[in-house]
Amino acid sequence: MNNIQNIKRSLILGGSCQLALTLVSCLLEKNIHPLITYRNLKGKERIQMELGAKAAMVELIHLDFCDRTSLLNLDACLKYRVDYMVDFAHSDYQSLMAGAKDDEIKNYFFTNVSVRAMVLKRVARCMLTKRFGRLVFISSTAAKNPNPGQGFYAASKLAVEALYRNLGLEMASKGITTAILRPGFVDVGRGQRYLKSEDQKFRLLKKQGRIITTQDISKAVLFLLLTAGTSINGTVLTVDGGMTIGKGDK
Amino acid sequence: MENNPSDIYAVISEILEEILDIDPKEVTPESYLIQDLGVESIDLMELAVSLNERFNITVDEELIFLTPLRMVIEKACKEQRDVPTLVMEKFSFLSPERTSEILEDFKNGPVLKVKDLAQYIDSQNVK
Repeated sequence: MNNIQNIKRSLILGGSCQLALTLVSCLLEKNIHPLITYRNLKGKERIQMELGAKAAMVELIHLDFCDRTSLLNLDACLKYRVDYMVDFAHSDYQSLMAGAKDDEIKNYFFTNVSVRAMVLKRVARCMLTKRFGRLVFISSTAAKNPNPGQGFYAASKLAVEALYRNLGLEMASKGITTAILRPGFVDVGRGQRYLKSEDQKFRLLKKQGRIITTQDISKAVLFLLLTAGTSINGTVLTVDGGMTIGKGDK
Repeated sequence: MENNPSDIYAVISEILEEILDIDPKEVTPESYLIQDLGVESIDLMELAVSLNERFNITVDEELIFLTPLRMVIEKACKEQRDVPTLVMEKFSFLSPERTSEILEDFKNGPVLKVKDLAQYIDSQNVK
């Protein structure tokens, strides 16, 4: 990688999910070099399998929020420029508030909020050397409209949104800005599991009009990353086809 | 890059000019970073990142920016210890002369000067 300082590079956190992999293909089309993080071997294999021949055009980095020593891998990658970051990483934790175990609560927030703050700090400092950086956090409509059992997930998403918002607030004068995207139900991952119930799908179609696709999300991310410009900073864009604007139909 | 004190100072001046978008004439070894040059906390962070990159070191941001100075002085007074000795123990790159200057000056506001940055970098034996 001789001309590494001339190539635009984008870090993709949580790169093994389908949303991230769809985005990776779009970034490659725009000649942006993806640096994709994976949490474990299974995730790495999934990225390689899904990308096929394109896997040779990306860099894979082991970064597990549960294992702080893996931050050293991130440090090594941040010795070179990083222009963009898109953050899909977030583990799920479904539990009723009154039923959660103390250790699970503590670990969940440490992993998803505290370690992410450590990641953000490192990436922001790397971007500071070039006085440019654009970061997009993939949140969820559940941050604002959680179902029962999603309290911890929603709280951690909102906490991370706050981290991104403040990063944008503090670093805008140095050319580093952020944006937050809240997808509604998407036909992959957790959304797909939910939508497997025909009844849920019917209700959602009534509310949302259509199921959101990975392409819809990629287009929105690219808009925030490349097109929107720095005037959109620290703010939230909801991509749910209108699902959350009404009163709900329960 | 071989760094003698004047090389170090030249690089620091250059970085400050870039970060603050100011005239080179405004930066002297005696300039106060905050009072004279208008440096803010976000600029200090950028300064630290730039110093790391340019000198290929990892600066201790608390030390180079004298962040715990007030705490160290208060601790020395509270424990009835010799203030200059404790300050130089903590900030070992400061000379006795500069330490005296700082102790005379610190009640007037932030004391950090450009020459302190150069002194810290020089103490790191950068090559």
